[in-house]
Amino acid sequence: MNAIEIRKLTKNFGSKQALKGLDMTVPMGAIYGFIGENGSGKSTTEKIVCGLIHPSGGQIKLFGRDHTDADVRARVGVLIESPGCFPNLTVWNNMMIQAANLNIKNAEKEVQKALKMVRMEGAAGNKYKNCSLGMKQRIGIAMALLGDPILLVLDEPLNGLDADGMRIMREVLTDIIKDGKHTVVVSSHLLGELQKIATHYGIIRHGKMLCEMTADELDSSCRTYTALRAKDMNRAKSSLSLRYSRVEEDEAGYIRVYDAREPEEIVTYLYQNGVLVNEIKTDKISLEEYYIDLMNAREVR
Amino acid sequence: MEMTNKIKFKHQTFCERLKSMLKVDFRRMFTSSLFYIMAGVCLVVPILIVVMTTMMDGTVSVDPNTGAETVIEAFDNVWQTIGSVSGEGSAMSMDLTGMCNINLVYFFAAVFICIFISDDFRSGYAKNLFTVRANKGDYVASKTIVGFIGGAFMLIAFFLGSMLGGAISGLPFDTPAGTSGIVMCMISKIFLLAVFVSIYVLASVIGKQKLWQSLVGSLMIGMLFFMMIPMLIPLDAGMMNVLLSLVGGALFAFGLGSASNHILKKTSLV
Repeated sequence: MNAIEIRKLTKNFGSKQALKGLDMTVPMGAIYGFIGENGSGKSTTEKIVCGLIHPSGGQIKLFGRDHTDADVRARVGVLIESPGCFPNLTVWNNMMIQAANLNIKNAEKEVQKALKMVRMEGAAGNKYKNCSLGMKQRIGIAMALLGDPILLVLDEPLNGLDADGMRIMREVLTDIIKDGKHTVVVSSHLLGELQKIATHYGIIRHGKMLCEMTADELDSSCRTYTALRAKDMNRAKSSLSLRYSRVEEDEAGYIRVYDAREPEEIVTYLYQNGVLVNEIKTDKISLEEYYIDLMNAREVR
Repeated sequence: MEMTNKIKFKHQTFCERLKSMLKVDFRRMFTSSLFYIMAGVCLVVPILIVVMTTMMDGTVSVDPNTGAETVIEAFDNVWQTIGSVSGEGSAMSMDLTGMCNINLVYFFAAVFICIFISDDFRSGYAKNLFTVRANKGDYVASKTIVGFIGGAFMLIAFFLGSMLGGAISGLPFDTPAGTSGIVMCMISKIFLLAVFVSIYVLASVIGKQKLWQSLVGSLMIGMLFFMMIPMLIPLDAGMMNVLLSLVGGALFAFGLGSASNHILKKTSLV
């Protein structure tokens, strides 16, 4: 059973086609990292899933039912763009209003629990408009968690969060999928953070799904590289460039050799060319680098 | 309860959904300042109108260009702020007593409902609301009921304000309409609110976050019906006026409510 199954989804805004036959499958119990450039159609897809905008065509199923089914939609938590709170009401009242919307029985207890999860119980009496960006984001997450949603749709939930906020967010999301009944769709530009929690990925571009994969598949798709530091970095780089097709210097000041087989081979080769290697390691490219590579490859095509 | 791969989806009836939606709207209404400000305005405006017109009674103002004289006339009795007895000229007139009376509340209600609904969309709360509410009918029904009750509070506040204003300025409380006529008149006016509320709800769901669009639309359409209130509900109203208002209100609420529901279903909500 998939939490979300989208087939041939299209959405036109006037003459602009935002989604061009998008297919997407989110398995139940996954944290699905939804990645794409600005304007690629992530938010549009999420809004359609949540019933906030109407698709021009295609089919959307949530837990095997049509996405307009009221019973399924009652179990969806959402944080899209910004938390939907009334600025002049207190955090507590905003949360209680959402609890009433969800028809939660022990509303006060549930609200307290949700605020505690995001470490915002101390801000319950503050007016929402007086909260900082990071606090608002946490409140939005707490609001999305109310009513035990089986599907959480979070659009850029990490925006404005400090290091502690991001850690809490990671803990909360990884915690709620443990029972296998909860599913989370997260879109974010902070790919490093996303890589720490996502179990599945979907990469969207120009309204079409480029690829979908599990975290393990991504791991095996991410190319390995050998990173090294040498006494004479310029000479090392020019020597390596003569032998290997892709040699780059990264932000940390390492020379990366992408198609090397063994580090020993590189060390020996450089030694033969009069370059002494100080430090050498092998690693895999990150999600961010994989994504940039993928985008660049599509650009070239 | 239905099982889908071990996930239980609880089916909620329309009544359950409406109950929870009403909880949301009543909580919002009673925790935000908007309702209290509007009710306060409805209480203070009649006091100001009655006291100031009484103080200025008989004052003559002369137009410097034409030399035309205008004499300011105060209310003859307190009940003129509520309505005019049928057959009296002022029931149809657009002078001070015809305009500055309880019917102003129908306009104040437009402001209240338009702000109340557009706040859902402006704050982004509509995203939370409509994600978990696939049936838009709950929203329209709840807004109509809450708008109606909020408007009724405002009508009562205006009524009380008129009494206070009359007592302060020493206006007589005698009327040929009788107590039952006044009670029927107030009940009819409250029922007639449903007509206006459904118009305002429709204009607001069309305008969504565009408050000015909702307000202008509401006031323009409301103005057409506003002219008919003095004719439909005189101060000496009877059971027929009550029934007409009730049926009219119910028909408008149902008809325009369906239209509002259709618009919410067919348009983007963010």
